[in-house]
Amino acid sequence: MNFSRPALPSKPALSRRAFLSDLGMGFTGLALGAMLERESRASSALWTPPTGLPHFPPKARSVIWLFMNGGVSHMESFDPKPMLSKYGGKSISETPFADVQDPKKLALERLVVPDGNGNQRNKIFPLQVGFQKHGQSGIEVSDWFPNIARNVDKLAVVRSMYTTDSNHGAQTQFHSGRHMVDGSFPTLGAWVHYGLGSLNDNLPQFISIGTREYWNNKDGHYLGPAHDAVPLRIDPSNPLDFGKPERPFSPAAQGIGLDLVRELNTLRGVEYPADPMMSARIASYELAFRMQRSMPEALDFSKESAETKALYGIDQPHCRDFGSQMLAARRLVERGVRFIQIQHGGGGAGAWDAHGGLKANHSKLALQVDQPIGALLADLERRGMLEETLVVFATEFGRTPGTQGADGRDHHIFGFSVWMAGGGIKGGVVHGATDELGFHAVENRHYVTDVHATILQQLGLDSRKLEIPGRKRLEIDHGKPIPEIIA
Amino acid sequence: MHPRIPHLPFWLLFLAGFFFGMAPGYAGVDYLKNVKPLLQERCYSCHGGLKQKGGLRLDTAVLLRKGGESGDALSKDKAGKVRLLERVSSTDPEEHMPPKHEGERFTAAQIQILREWIEAGASAPVEEKAESDPREHWAFRARVRPAIPAAVLGGWGRNAVDAFVGQGYVAGGVGPVGEAPPEVLLRRLYLDLVGVPPTLKEMTAVEGIPVAEWYEATVESLLADPRHGQRWGRHWMDIWRYSDWWGLGAQLRNSQKHIWHWRDWIIESINADTPYDEMVRLMLAADEIAPSDPQKLRATGFLARNWFLFNRNSWLEETVEHVGKGFLGLTFNCAKCHDHKYDPISQTDFYKMRAFFEPYHVRMDVVPGEGNLERDGIPRAYDGAPEVATFRFVRGEESNADKSVRILPGVPAILSFGTLAIHPVSLPVLASQPERQPWVLDAHLAGAKKAMEAAGVLLEKQSEKLAAAEKKASEAKALPVNAVIPEASSAGASKAPAVSPEKVLPEARAEWKVAELAAALARAELGSIEARAVAMRARWDGLPNEPELKGLAIRAEREAAVARTRHAAADVALLQIRAAPEKKAAIATQAKTAEDALAKALAANAAPVQPADVYTSLYGAKWTPTRFLSSAKDDPDVPFPSLSTGRRKALAEWITDPRHPLTARVAANHLWARHMGIPLAVNTFEFGRKGAAPTQPELLDWLASELVESGWSMKHLHRLIVNSAAYRMSSSLAGAEAAVARDPDNARLWRRTPLRLEAEAVRDSILSLAGELDLSHGGASIPAAAQAESKRRSLYFYHSNNERNLFLTTFDEAAVKECYRRDESIVPQQALALTNSRLVHDAALRIAGLLFKTGATGEEAFIRSAYSYVLGIKASGAEIVACSRAMEAWRRAALPAEKDAHAMARVNLVWALLNHNDFVTLR
Repeated sequence: MNFSRPALPSKPALSRRAFLSDLGMGFTGLALGAMLERESRASSALWTPPTGLPHFPPKARSVIWLFMNGGVSHMESFDPKPMLSKYGGKSISETPFADVQDPKKLALERLVVPDGNGNQRNKIFPLQVGFQKHGQSGIEVSDWFPNIARNVDKLAVVRSMYTTDSNHGAQTQFHSGRHMVDGSFPTLGAWVHYGLGSLNDNLPQFISIGTREYWNNKDGHYLGPAHDAVPLRIDPSNPLDFGKPERPFSPAAQGIGLDLVRELNTLRGVEYPADPMMSARIASYELAFRMQRSMPEALDFSKESAETKALYGIDQPHCRDFGSQMLAARRLVERGVRFIQIQHGGGGAGAWDAHGGLKANHSKLALQVDQPIGALLADLERRGMLEETLVVFATEFGRTPGTQGADGRDHHIFGFSVWMAGGGIKGGVVHGATDELGFHAVENRHYVTDVHATILQQLGLDSRKLEIPGRKRLEIDHGKPIPEIIA
Repeated sequence: MHPRIPHLPFWLLFLAGFFFGMAPGYAGVDYLKNVKPLLQERCYSCHGGLKQKGGLRLDTAVLLRKGGESGDALSKDKAGKVRLLERVSSTDPEEHMPPKHEGERFTAAQIQILREWIEAGASAPVEEKAESDPREHWAFRARVRPAIPAAVLGGWGRNAVDAFVGQGYVAGGVGPVGEAPPEVLLRRLYLDLVGVPPTLKEMTAVEGIPVAEWYEATVESLLADPRHGQRWGRHWMDIWRYSDWWGLGAQLRNSQKHIWHWRDWIIESINADTPYDEMVRLMLAADEIAPSDPQKLRATGFLARNWFLFNRNSWLEETVEHVGKGFLGLTFNCAKCHDHKYDPISQTDFYKMRAFFEPYHVRMDVVPGEGNLERDGIPRAYDGAPEVATFRFVRGEESNADKSVRILPGVPAILSFGTLAIHPVSLPVLASQPERQPWVLDAHLAGAKKAMEAAGVLLEKQSEKLAAAEKKASEAKALPVNAVIPEASSAGASKAPAVSPEKVLPEARAEWKVAELAAALARAELGSIEARAVAMRARWDGLPNEPELKGLAIRAEREAAVARTRHAAADVALLQIRAAPEKKAAIATQAKTAEDALAKALAANAAPVQPADVYTSLYGAKWTPTRFLSSAKDDPDVPFPSLSTGRRKALAEWITDPRHPLTARVAANHLWARHMGIPLAVNTFEFGRKGAAPTQPELLDWLASELVESGWSMKHLHRLIVNSAAYRMSSSLAGAEAAVARDPDNARLWRRTPLRLEAEAVRDSILSLAGELDLSHGGASIPAAAQAESKRRSLYFYHSNNERNLFLTTFDEAAVKECYRRDESIVPQQALALTNSRLVHDAALRIAGLLFKTGATGEEAFIRSAYSYVLGIKASGAEIVACSRAMEAWRRAALPAEKDAHAMARVNLVWALLNHNDFVTLR
């Protein structure tokens, strides 16, 4: 342990669970928890709610989950395919790799929303960007991501991802592990929130930053709304919904009021001793007040050096927004937030959705995210935080090797790339591979929940132990950790 | 996973727990703890009470030992092998258990558990009970009205509900707490029955009067109150999955526009005490039961809500799932890919259920006064595709339909009684030709007239604008050019550079031209609609001059086409004037297209009418186009047939047959749950073998019987429940330590369980106390942008996957996808919403003013009246002291700018009470 965590509030490192159980409450500290427990007793004698402690010693304490909405081209980011340039303009059937379109190999696709984009693009689109080898590992990264490339020895690039939804419902799928038509299921962040106690009782434990599509805007689902991410704006003057009085109300007056509320609730407690709802309500007010007070400080960059701010690109218009989000993410992790979910390019179907003009689209968006992400990795490392902070870079699917229209690529589920860094993940490794065209993941194939399983493992959680009665999880929901990328 | 060397003392702590936690696991394998749950999860569905494949049952150790057709499962054969272990560990796909696609393989650890248990002698308790026959499951057995038990507690109890509840006390060794105080009862009744607390007037009306004299009368008046439908309508909207439409941007993808007509039908029906069975029948099949009654057709919004633009399978799967869960408490959805693992529902049963819905589509019917379906219309179900076959999907995969067998509608064998009678329904002409509804032609005419008036108003405005521009131009001509500029800038209002009159005038003329042609178009459209309406009536009435009228209609429609293209051309001309120089070329192309279209329309209009020519009939409804075919455009039109399959009517009759064992039980359980907070059967949508048995089965059956025998009157059930002593109990825990110890979950109902108010009740109560709640009924949902200012009841707020109100979401409003019970979370965001929102601050100001005005002017009087008004409780001495102290502190902390520190302190006190736990709690 070589970076110091913030001093926790006067109370020592007390898990939220312990904190709330002091107040006579079950795990989630919520009536919901009590309700689930009641129901569970009826259906399964064996089930107990999570304790808030990891199931085995963890390697990572926090996760920063970066999600590029719309679908980043794997071939133009982390999985170079020179064959595309060689056969550019030819149809796939004219190449030696015609068998990629064997219908049997395409069977895993489950289309919900045939949106007229079609899914097979036959005419090969040459690579739109150059690649260089970087770092000690010599991993190739496209020229659109020079800053991430500079940190490549920290990354484990997984080039063999696949999913099944050819529409942007795949965003939901990447977060929950389930295809949209199966229903709504808790996201990875919600499971982590459900499974682990807090590292800081002044801040929410699970935070969401950035716009989310309507089909992907909740996390808790059957775990309940208490496990939804708390939406956060990078605005110290107004970071949370209802985060400050919407009518003039001095802090002094509010303080007197909150003291009174607490006193009156306690007085009612004579009539309702050991009422868990009352205790939970009192606790929730205290947490709310602390959140309201702590959040602006967490987002106040005035104490950050000019060098740091420049590192994240906050001084440049094109990466100011995302840079601020990355810097905020680092500050939140520093303060003990467990899971920070950041969406880039949310809205519409996702900004990275380059059906046309891929070069213009990806080069512009890469400019927005590359420097901030590179800065995050470098900054985490120099502060000694990377060791226990797992950074994930993901997207819902890749893009087709074939051209759409004149100069775009369509959605592509059969093979794409993600990377992870920190939190006990090996640096400078490439795992898995797609075929020569970047069409199918052919080596060490991984479904999206393998990423979940890897993260849970690093956090010390066994997802099977998190199940709740009446909600059957399938093997595919749990996924399998990827041992090859774990240090 | 091996424990790792810890980095931190924190992990040391953790490690201690880790090893400690491991220790008990090694005490040896226990049948009940380790073996039976494993077999139950993996094997019982085929080898237990539900099925006995190969004659084998594994649900007791005795049965295990007995084995099946292929012999003993537990003892060693000659080769020293145990069959059970062989089968679960086999790698031969023909051999291994569970079979391929029927479940996950046993892990090595699980096999080891079985092995250890067998090797240790396979011991198990002697008294082990086998799984019962599914037909014996409580919810599948016919409902028999239970006899009301004799009162067991002297003097306690008000009606039969209490007789059943009282029985539980004896068995559970607990007794009822006393009745809640009058003020608590009053607030409870109001919030429960109408969703808002009593007003000051309503409180004063019963003040000082013994409870016995007002309680039941208040119940009656609240059940008759129109607010009751709004309150309980929202409950049923949860269960029936109300959702406004949503999609990507403006594209409709889910549910339907104007689905609020269904919401209004629910509320009206509840207020009218429309029988529950009737409501269910209408929601499933009003188009077959009352095919030309638009009021009743609104009910099929239940089905229209499931509409999904892109995928028929997920649409129908959701329909089957929620018809099952909502009306029957059955999880048909668990049988989509394979036979149900717990209930006697085969995979084919799932598709039989789907077959009832296979023909249905959704259309939008014209409502009186509005011909434009974008603005209003009734979305409703109809059988548009009666010929489409239903096939079973192998393993639930939609790409893998078993086309060898057409699946016909049917119900699971265990729930069949009598015969399911499916008779095609011949629809009245008004249903298949909705344009014949008497209001339809008038609605189109009314719309055209409105459009014409609007166009006239616009033209008048443009005429004035043109006159002003012309006047200015002629004045400007008289002045030197440089005189214009100072005049414009001295006006001060605009910093835009002054535009020369030479540019303004042609634009104003072109704008006027567009307006003039728009008015002409509106006139022509009206003429066209009038002529077509006349021709259509003539056709229906078989008038002799019909051919002549048809000719006039065709002509009028052509005239309108000319007017439309003329208007379009003028529009492009205006664009051309406004365009930047570099855009002019592109617009010239547009202009050419517009000119061509106009020429074409003129030519068509000049041609004589041929006998084969037709006019476009005015529509009375439109099919809501789907996109199942992935063609990037709407699927081919689905017509309005004159025959409906009658499938859904038959299904509705089966569901609402009084003999159905599930329907009334499920409904009664929901009613009880939403009054009392805890359902009698805890899994409200799962009455199958996986759900928990009811805590008071006889009470549930009695309530269900009362529901059916009262003619499915929900108000009858409300009355029974709220008039019971069980309902009227206090929720206090003071002095109840013994009962808490015996029954901490209150399963025996020895007290009332306090409830967190639902989101809508929280917001509505705040506005109601402030005297601002708008109690009006019905109409289009309030869009997000208007919600901050709106005082309408919360159930009228737009509610979909796309758009939900933040305040309501914070308090767990219904999830759009399904909400058989509300969540009752207590999270910090709720505290933030109540401490900081405008809603609460503004209400506090008004409430304080209201209380002060009604005479609570002294400090103590104010505190007392605020306590009773906001929280419905009497303030204790200690509470008054605390409030008084805070008010003093507020006055001292008041800033000089705040001129009335006393008034501020009162407002702050009300704010504090709105943040009190008991404000959001139903005691």
